[in-house]
Amino acid sequence: MAGRGKLIAVIGDEDTVTGFLLGGIGELNKNRHPNFLVVEKDTTVNEIEDTFRQFLNRDDIGIILINQYIAEMVRHALDAHQRSIPAVLEIPSKEHPYDAAKDSILRRAKGMFTAEDLR
Amino acid sequence: MAAADLRAELDSLVLQLLWDLEELESKRAALNARVEEGWLSLSKARYAMGAKSVGPLQYASCMEPQVCVCTNEAQNGLQKFRVVRSGSQIPEEVGPCEAALRRRKGLTRIPEPEPFSASPNPLNWFGILVPHSLRQAQASFQEGLQLAVDMASLQIQINWGQSQLRGLQEKLKQLGLGAA
Repeated sequence: MAGRGKLIAVIGDEDTVTGFLLGGIGELNKNRHPNFLVVEKDTTVNEIEDTFRQFLNRDDIGIILINQYIAEMVRHALDAHQRSIPAVLEIPSKEHPYDAAKDSILRRAKGMFTAEDLR
Repeated sequence: MAAADLRAELDSLVLQLLWDLEELESKRAALNARVEEGWLSLSKARYAMGAKSVGPLQYASCMEPQVCVCTNEAQNGLQKFRVVRSGSQIPEEVGPCEAALRRRKGLTRIPEPEPFSASPNPLNWFGILVPHSLRQAQASFQEGLQLAVDMASLQIQINWGQSQLRGLQEKLKQLGLGAA
């Protein structure tokens, strides 16, 4: 594992996860936890948050892809994540287009300058 | 003079940050487009194969990642992601392994080197002959992955730039207070 780099994890709806697994990022065997979570109608917010935190704490995951509408459910956990790795990327879903106003990275960038700085 | 140097450094940092943000947004638009193409292709594949034929029920019970990311450290200590794909094959060595006479009888079988275990193609989870739309979906998501990796590197760069900006702004404030 050390020789092949870090994994890309994905938390999303069925189509998003299926698509990225088709792309070749999936890891699943009897010894290791999967690096993906399919969020369905009956998936609870606690399950999503637990999985997200597990991914953050794993040292073999470099990037976490998450549908933005799911990221909204665990926004507090995303905003609390200050480390650069794993990088968290918010992506749109079929039913919820991407909204830049909700993205954690862009909201931080928006708050870069105050009125005083621009004087 | 120190304040003037700091302001110049601040200006170039702000310009770099704005450039990075613009680059991030352009890559995000491209990623969103690839992902939407991928969903459309998945829908077409479902239409061809059946509604329940393309989904979590078909996932393999054992998966090996074909795509991983490696981090490289730049001169300024910034981490940058790079895609690493498995399945690269080691060139086969042709010819005898040892300089020895071959015996006709009782030939000792030279153990063959183990083939490089390339991860199986996830397309195989969905059957032997899959529709073209499923291959198109795979291609779209693979392109999306490369964009996602580039975006992750840009995000790290932007976060670093923001922390540098805050540091410089603090120094400038202290200089301003010191002068006063």
